[in-house]
Amino acid sequence: MNHRGGWALIKSSWLSWMQYSSFFFILVFGWMITPLIYMLVWSGAAGTGTLGGLTSGEFIAYYLILILVNQLTYSQTNWTVGDVIRMGDLNHWLLRPMLPLYNPLANEVAGKVVTMIFVIPIASILAVVLRPELHTTWDKVVLSLLALAFAWLLRFFWGYWLALLAFWTARADALLALQDSLVFLMAGIVAPVWMLPAGFKLAASVLPFRFMVGFPVEILLGQISRQDLLIGFVYQAIWAVFAILLSAFIWRLGIQRYTAVGG
Amino acid sequence: MPSLSNSPVIFVRNLTKTYRVPERESGLGASLKSMVRRSYQDVKAVQEISFSIQAGEMVGFIGPNGAGKTTTLKMLAGILYPSEGAAQVLGHIPWKRETAYLRRISIVLGNKSQMLWDIPPLDTFGVLGEIYSLPAAEYRNTLDELVDLLGMEEVLKKPVRNLSLGERMKCELVAGLLHRPAVLFLDEPTLGLDISIQRRVRDFLCQYNQRYGVTVLLTSHYMADVMALCPRVILIHHGKLLYDGRLDGLAQQLAPFKLVRLTLNHGISTTNALDLPPNAEIIEQENSHLTLRVDREAAPSAAAYLLDKLAVTDLTIEDPPIEAVMDQVYQEGNV
Repeated sequence: MNHRGGWALIKSSWLSWMQYSSFFFILVFGWMITPLIYMLVWSGAAGTGTLGGLTSGEFIAYYLILILVNQLTYSQTNWTVGDVIRMGDLNHWLLRPMLPLYNPLANEVAGKVVTMIFVIPIASILAVVLRPELHTTWDKVVLSLLALAFAWLLRFFWGYWLALLAFWTARADALLALQDSLVFLMAGIVAPVWMLPAGFKLAASVLPFRFMVGFPVEILLGQISRQDLLIGFVYQAIWAVFAILLSAFIWRLGIQRYTAVGG
Repeated sequence: MPSLSNSPVIFVRNLTKTYRVPERESGLGASLKSMVRRSYQDVKAVQEISFSIQAGEMVGFIGPNGAGKTTTLKMLAGILYPSEGAAQVLGHIPWKRETAYLRRISIVLGNKSQMLWDIPPLDTFGVLGEIYSLPAAEYRNTLDELVDLLGMEEVLKKPVRNLSLGERMKCELVAGLLHRPAVLFLDEPTLGLDISIQRRVRDFLCQYNQRYGVTVLLTSHYMADVMALCPRVILIHHGKLLYDGRLDGLAQQLAPFKLVRLTLNHGISTTNALDLPPNAEIIEQENSHLTLRVDREAAPSAAAYLLDKLAVTDLTIEDPPIEAVMDQVYQEGNV
């Protein structure tokens, strides 16, 4: 393991990205828009009563937390991995005396810091203006943070194995777009998962997408039973391990097909 | 595979790389058809080439575009897996990409930069120093030495995107040599550079090789690079090895003719009046200077004939320029 090199890559990504901080802020603002719209829709629909068990203020809390979770788990790096393979820039990853995975991981960590510089102040301002209602406990906070860590791991490696399909197909990023759509539908963005129609709800409870975003939010808001919490962690861990193993398998096969175009 | 103790630094045996390339006819119909059923063609980029290189050698790896030079270099650097064959570099199988191997080699790709575009070269060098776990003092000393040798102090703090092509290539060389590799693969290091920067890069590589004994395998389309740096060349064409030997032996082996340059003690009004050897072909004439092309075997007798028949004040027999020989090989595709 070459942690010294990994840390250097993170710093270099920061240095590069800070040159274009305004571009990232605009990009991140775009990513925030969809949950913000659904926050306004559902909090408005709840009115002065409750809807799906949540008041208007609780919907605002749900979506503000979801915005943070979505930003923290969203893997922008994987959108570039396909191009790195297709355009031959993977050469540099392969030539350095470190695991090639360090490169996207460093990019990912650097990206989180740059985007959070923007997201946290915006979410804080929205919290002051819109007055969310959040009733939680410390044990829920801890469990939610644990679920958040697994959610990032799962979402990153799920996107990574999809991106690695670029070894075979020129535009693997179409699959990332499909993943984003499924996250939108099943991860609690279009509506909290427990409010989805029965069929969607069943699919969301077993497929990986809910565990990438909605699951940590549900835990923090106390919208999940102790039994579902345990089952949820098991599903999340199984999907995360599956995604990691699949990534390793696809890398192993794909690298033998790599054509290193250009240069 | 030979044992490590007496093995060359680079050892290649029957190395082959076949690419599977999708192909289709032009037009919308063919495009739609290819969505349903794709057809592929196997392209043999490198075909069973074998050679070995000893420590400290500088070898020119030459051939026309698409000959398989870069593909070979990429296999030896560990970027590409071969389809068949074997190779060892510094006792390692390159495509296993062991850390110990990657720390001892470097590849500089003339048209694929490893510099970070938006930040000054110093930052990229710093990252590489960390990746290769170089001690601070060693990093500083190596960097200072390379910067001094290449004369590039003034570019270190400017963003890479603002540098000229020549300045960027100097940066690539520093980035590739910071960890003091034992083997250096250079793919078109002078591509697109002006003559003075080309010379500077050549001088640098020559000095660096002499100072540290680094083994260099160089591809270049500029024969001036090869002539200045590489006593030995390996010529490949259509993925096959055509020649492996001394550069000055290349023309002897590949060109079936020699050039006879002579100066007469009077001006030449018309070449028709000159009594020339049979099969000699005039290829250049200016005042009293004449250049003839004669068969390689007939060169001595042609020289004797000329000395006997004409009022010659000077006569030399030369191999044709290497560029002309290469052009002939590239066009004919064989030796």
